Amino acid sequence: MNSLPDDYLEAAIQRLLTEDGTVAEQGITIHSRELVLVLGGEVESARRRDEICRQITAHFPDLEITCDIGITRAQAPGEVEEIS
Amino acid sequence: MIRIAAVGDVHVDADVVGRYRPALEQLSDVADVLLVAGDLTRHGTVAEAGSFATEFGGLEVPVVVVLGNHDHQSDQQAEVAGVLADAGITVLEGTSVVLDLHGHRLGVAGVKGFGGGFAGACASAFGEREMKSFVGTTEQAADKLGAALRTTECDALVALTHYAPVPETLAGEPLEIYPFLGSYLLGQAIDSAPTALALHGHAHHGSERGRTAGGVPVRNVAHPVIRQAYNVYQLLSQDVEAGLVGV
Repeated sequence: MNSLPDDYLEAAIQRLLTEDGTVAEQGITIHSRELVLVLGGEVESARRRDEICRQITAHFPDLEITCDIGITRAQAPGEVEEIS
Repeated sequence: MIRIAAVGDVHVDADVVGRYRPALEQLSDVADVLLVAGDLTRHGTVAEAGSFATEFGGLEVPVVVVLGNHDHQSDQQAEVAGVLADAGITVLEGTSVVLDLHGHRLGVAGVKGFGGGFAGACASAFGEREMKSFVGTTEQAADKLGAALRTTECDALVALTHYAPVPETLAGEPLEIYPFLGSYLLGQAIDSAPTALALHGHAHHGSERGRTAGGVPVRNVAHPVIRQAYNVYQLLSQDVEAGLVGV
């Protein structure tokens, strides 16, 4: 399956990440860097980031991926914006 | 003065419970109400709604939410809304609520909304039944939002949606998916009333600030955009509460 042309491969991965029952992520970016697929974006937990990589590796075992997915920070704000 | 804390797209499941809570425990020091702009859960299950209620419920301030597309994934949106209501969280869908906050009446009208795109590149209710249904869904949502906004009597009026009402707060997203991220019809509804602020989520790669054609400030509070537990916006005031720095 990973012999798909790049356009179809990216679409297949995006649909996997969105429609798979364990992931449901729509905000992951995918870029090809030479022969490596670089994953970007942010998710809510390290467990979700790891599951994304696990799912891609399980479905496309010959793909080399680099995971640059971050965990969105959840600290309290230090500023208020006055709306006018 | 009314201070509104807002966030969207928190996608809570059991693995997220506890991440927001330290910041939420401080919320009543800096805000009078918390608005959440949809995508409360990952798959819209009753169990995930319970996790959201655990994380975002029981605060010292009122919590008002709309559902997002993720909250519809399991076709259990009614049950999800029920779990939230049981936890004391107000769920809006084409409806409004008025909160008395320190003598000021804050009106919040909310709807999930839907897509369709923006002026110059928007869908029309024409042709296939599926296309008419797509655009019709947005038209109905916008009509309900507009009616709720126009009939809410208050001192400060806020529109809360999941989908975006303007394209400016989508900047950063691929242009090709704008029609799936929001609709000008929501903006038009917001402009049909004296709305002071419009809040939405859904666009994780979008931008925070925009304005409707009618001049209403719009803020995209999707969690990956604001990158903190919530933002705080202040209405009806000359002052900034001690402890927070005005920007």
